Amino acid sequence: MTDAEVFLQQLITGLSNGMIIALIAIGYTMVYGIVELINFAHGDLFMLGSFLALTIVGALGLESWSGMGSVAAVLILIASSACFCGTLNWTVDRLAYRPLRRAPKLSLLVAAIGASFVLMNLGLFWGGLPLDVFSGGIAAAAPKDFPDLFPDLNVLGNSAVQITRTDVGVFAVTIPLMIGLTLLVKMTKLGKAMRAVAQNPTAAALMGISVDRVIGATFFIGGALAGAASVMYALYNNSIGFQMGYRAGMDAFTAAVLGGIGSLPGAMLGGIGIGLIRAMSDQYVESKWTNAIVFGVLILVLIFRPSGILGAKQREKV
Amino acid sequence: MKPPMLVVEGVVARYGAIEALHGVSLEVREGEIVSLVGANGAGKTTTLRCVSRLRDVAAGSIRFEGRDLLQMQAAEVVAQGVAHSPEGRQIFPRLTVRENLEMGAYLRHDAAGIAADMRKCEELFPILGERRGQLGATLSGGEQQMLAIARALMSRPRLLMLDEPSMGIAPILMARIFAAVRELNKQGVTVLLVEQNARAALRMSHRGYVLETGRTTMSGTGDELLTDERVRRSYLGEGV
Repeated sequence: MTDAEVFLQQLITGLSNGMIIALIAIGYTMVYGIVELINFAHGDLFMLGSFLALTIVGALGLESWSGMGSVAAVLILIASSACFCGTLNWTVDRLAYRPLRRAPKLSLLVAAIGASFVLMNLGLFWGGLPLDVFSGGIAAAAPKDFPDLFPDLNVLGNSAVQITRTDVGVFAVTIPLMIGLTLLVKMTKLGKAMRAVAQNPTAAALMGISVDRVIGATFFIGGALAGAASVMYALYNNSIGFQMGYRAGMDAFTAAVLGGIGSLPGAMLGGIGIGLIRAMSDQYVESKWTNAIVFGVLILVLIFRPSGILGAKQREKV
Repeated sequence: MKPPMLVVEGVVARYGAIEALHGVSLEVREGEIVSLVGANGAGKTTTLRCVSRLRDVAAGSIRFEGRDLLQMQAAEVVAQGVAHSPEGRQIFPRLTVRENLEMGAYLRHDAAGIAADMRKCEELFPILGERRGQLGATLSGGEQQMLAIARALMSRPRLLMLDEPSMGIAPILMARIFAAVRELNKQGVTVLLVEQNARAALRMSHRGYVLETGRTTMSGTGDELLTDERVRRSYLGEGV
């Protein structure tokens, strides 16, 4: 590989990972925008999405679906994990966060940390179920192999730079989801209501907007995106585990802060940015420095732009 | 005679342990403009917030057209035909003027009617038509007040509650806003008005109530209150 080819390869890897991080980051930023909560349970929700996906792979025998069948298999996984994570996130809000709507923000944060533990342990329990895909559930905490539903064929043929079918899948899933979400928030009545609630919940209630319902919808959408991301992550890394939510969640949260928490395009930009920084640092520095570099960049950005790259300035006139 | 549109009876409300309202009673009849006047902190804003269910009520009753508002949430009150343009305008700063108005019509599904009402609002306040695509935050205080009133109108309310529509606004805009309120009233909208500027409010009102430290202490027609010795001294700034 020439230098240029290596760079190009890292660019592609970074973009793929970055898109997945961005999908998770959107869930952090949307929830923060509307209830000012760093939803610590979000990463664990993402983890559970991949556990559901692996369970379905085993139940339906998706591994043996080939050709167009494998595309259908991935679509089934995305749809089910998205529905599952959306509903679960909605439920967590309904049970744990909604009763605390008028409580101090710190109580809400503690509730989120609690929800994170609950979901993580649910993942540990799930991984111990006696299923073939979990190797019989003997070692609940051990990482699980996620089958490569798209064998890593290079769509560029024999070139040194590889764009695998999984890469293509990641782009084909994440880009339409991001465009769709942007249109939803910009154009639809629900999207405008979401922005209205985020900007002024009291005034939104005076418009007849059912604030709790809009917040619930936000949790559902953010959760669904994490569910979709979890499938793409599992396909990309071929391994899942009950603790993966922490690391992925940390990356995504960092991405949301980098882009400007509360800002949707910011989360997308931040996610892609983090993916690229990681890939470049792995290649050109050393992978053990990657975390330090990611957070170094974060700190640097926050020094000059405390509310993130695209974050709104906290200067609201009343 | 028809029963009153809005009946507030003996309403008590608390902020934590502090009682903010100790018994507010008032009535608004269909077609009226009714003002609520009183000193700062007398509970005018709290009264409106109780009616629109932004605040919990500890005792008393609030009925609109016979229905018990205390059983409802804020969103349901809007559905009954009560709109509240709150103190401090509270527009959505990062929605456009047009989107702000759309939010006012959130519960409606008649696209043609909404478009017609939006045109009406832009006729009432032409500046809103000119600034249609601008973000709410870029409007001046007076323009934001117009937007807040127009936004409340978009739900096609039968009762419009306005809280301090003249606060922090140039006198010329104030005159325009009061003219608009009178015009709306002629078109059939009932108005419950809270105003710091008691004289201007009482002049255009059919009736008024005086609120003192969380209690309604006086009521009468606008003219009666304007000529009342105590009201003149306390609220109209005509010291002896």
